[in-house]
Amino acid sequence: MSTRADAWPAGGMQPDWTLIVAPSTEDEAGRESPLASLDDGSLVDACLGGRIEAFDVIVERHQRAVYQLCFRFVRRHEDAADLTQEVFLRAYRGLRRFRGDAALGTWLHRIGVNVCLNHVSARRAPETALDDAPQIAAAGDDPASSLAKTEQGARVRAAVARLPRKQRATLILRIYQDLSHKEIASALGTTVGAVKANFFHALGNLKRLLAEEAVGKS
Amino acid sequence: MKHLSPGQIVDVAEGCAAPAFIAHAANCELCRAKVGMLLDAVRLAAEDPPHDPSPLFWPRLAARIGDAVRREQAPASSWRPWTWRLAPLGAAAVLLVIAIGVGARFRAGAPVAPADVQEPAAAASMLPPGEGQSGADPADDPSWLLVSDLSSELSIDDAEASGALPMPGGADRALAHLDHTERMELARILREEIAAQTPPASQGPGA
Repeated sequence: MSTRADAWPAGGMQPDWTLIVAPSTEDEAGRESPLASLDDGSLVDACLGGRIEAFDVIVERHQRAVYQLCFRFVRRHEDAADLTQEVFLRAYRGLRRFRGDAALGTWLHRIGVNVCLNHVSARRAPETALDDAPQIAAAGDDPASSLAKTEQGARVRAAVARLPRKQRATLILRIYQDLSHKEIASALGTTVGAVKANFFHALGNLKRLLAEEAVGKS
Repeated sequence: MKHLSPGQIVDVAEGCAAPAFIAHAANCELCRAKVGMLLDAVRLAAEDPPHDPSPLFWPRLAARIGDAVRREQAPASSWRPWTWRLAPLGAAAVLLVIAIGVGARFRAGAPVAPADVQEPAAAASMLPPGEGQSGADPADDPSWLLVSDLSSELSIDDAEASGALPMPGGADRALAHLDHTERMELARILREEIAAQTPPASQGPGA
């Protein structure tokens, strides 16, 4: 069904109003659409309309990204799972405030960064133990190479944890979450210029911290 | 030309800078070094691989979040929080009505001066002529009807939580505060109630 006013036949009577059809989660027969086929905006509408199961689909769709974000900040599986739950709970409570200016994923990242930064501010960041790092070697890796990668990953993680808050958030969102500078600016409530400057300084500090750590070991 | 800003260095490193900036970075040793440093740091940062939990973890996490969201929603539609919020109010109303009813009963039975029998307007309006006399059916007493009406929604737990139940020793303390006339009236009421409750058949020969 077309809703465009210019779809009326030329020369015929044209209404002086424009028909606006609100997005519906029902098909033409009045049946509820399968939620998994809806986009994020329609899922939010369905959820606000009382279909709580629409939020389950939002969770299924975004839980990996939110978990990975949280894990980058806290570096512990249990804490990351707890924080992921907290992020989605806050999103659910504030769903009416989601205006759709940014993508739902960006909005969730924004909540996630706030939750994670509050969490790591409230408690001292744990020192990264090698035991916390992934231990499963990729098939074909020799043990020595696998151990070296594991150690280097732990060193990088510890260095990222020592970055200032905004630099740390910017680096995580850009390198590990693959957000654009514009999305990061939206998530952090800042400008694209500030995001690029923070990213530049974050990478400079990361390189310096890793170099200092290497010198300290040798 | 002055050196590139941090933002322009980032743009050059990511391959989205204006041609003029790319040309500058190619010719300026300092800016080229900064671009190289940036690319090197990105490579180092990428050496920390993503933490990928077991595939079984994701359905469990989704279910856990779903449960938490539904628990979050449940209180808003539940009647119990309203009950709890109204419980102190209901308990206070119950106590007020009991006090009025007991006061009216004492006043009805005791020969006191007219100045002492002035009833509050609310209590007086609740009592039709003839009510409040000793021997009337409590089920017809408007005070008790109001009490039962107000307390019908109140569970024993709610009443206890709001402090509406008598505390241990409360009856003794209340008795100690009665004056001589009130004690005599209480004794008379108790005698009447005991006599009314005692079935004649239960009285044995030795009684």
